[in-house]
Amino acid sequence: MRKLGFFFILLCLSWQGFTKETEEHSEIHDLMAYLLNPAAEAIWDSAGYVITEEGEFNLEPTDQEGWDKVKHGAKVISESSYLLSMPSRAVDDAQWVALSMALKRMGERAFEAAENEDSEELFKVGADLYQVCVACHQTYWIKEE
Amino acid sequence: MKIILRIIFCLFFGAFAFQIYAHHAFTAEFDPNAPINITGKVVKVEWINPHAWVHVEVEDESGKTVWMVEGGTPNTLIRNGITKKTLLPGTIIIVRGYQSKGRLCLPICIANGRDVTFPDGSKVFMGSSGTGAPRDGTDPRELKRE
Repeated sequence: MRKLGFFFILLCLSWQGFTKETEEHSEIHDLMAYLLNPAAEAIWDSAGYVITEEGEFNLEPTDQEGWDKVKHGAKVISESSYLLSMPSRAVDDAQWVALSMALKRMGERAFEAAENEDSEELFKVGADLYQVCVACHQTYWIKEE
Repeated sequence: MKIILRIIFCLFFGAFAFQIYAHHAFTAEFDPNAPINITGKVVKVEWINPHAWVHVEVEDESGKTVWMVEGGTPNTLIRNGITKKTLLPGTIIIVRGYQSKGRLCLPICIANGRDVTFPDGSKVFMGSSGTGAPRDGTDPRELKRE
């Protein structure tokens, strides 16, 4: 029974093998899906405006818990840069690591903005963070039509 | 029974994880073979990163439908001349873009916007560059790269 349990744990860990992704892609995939994407969304969802006929609503956090959520996301992003640049994950020596370190800087800036409760700066960092994401995706992931 | 539950758990979260990561690529969410023109009234604009969202209410014989149109980053839109002052609720616009993959409008109609035409006739690129969207001539940066 224990062997069967072990088998199914392995099945869980290797699920991406069923989706035509390589094991190497699977590691990066999980890092993106479970760490970076939720962390980035914590930053993106906490800055900006919604405009309707009723007026303009600011999305900035309204309490300490909200700002702490942003700080958590920011730390996850800056620390994940080290996970991305591990030798086993780095696709090349130069650009991959440079982009990982750019990501680190974005996390640091977001953390600082959250500490200062500066929603305008957080909005700018959110835009810059996306540019780093796109630069990396364009280089290593998305193939244009 | 526990084993079956584990299998279901693995399959569910494996598929879910793939969807989360696919979030950023055009082809993961939108259909390059389903171009659409949306003409209607702006009812809501979300100026958020990484994509601004414009909600457009379309009225026809069958009633009113709201389309959520994904645009580029707020910064990109502002650089292109689309601002909080020019894209006010109530403005009638024409959006050229692509439908979401399902095309079913469930639970809501979603499209990726490529360009937007304002009441004065001005047409502006409202999408994102480098997302894998079709090279359809709407993105000025795409023309520069060629």
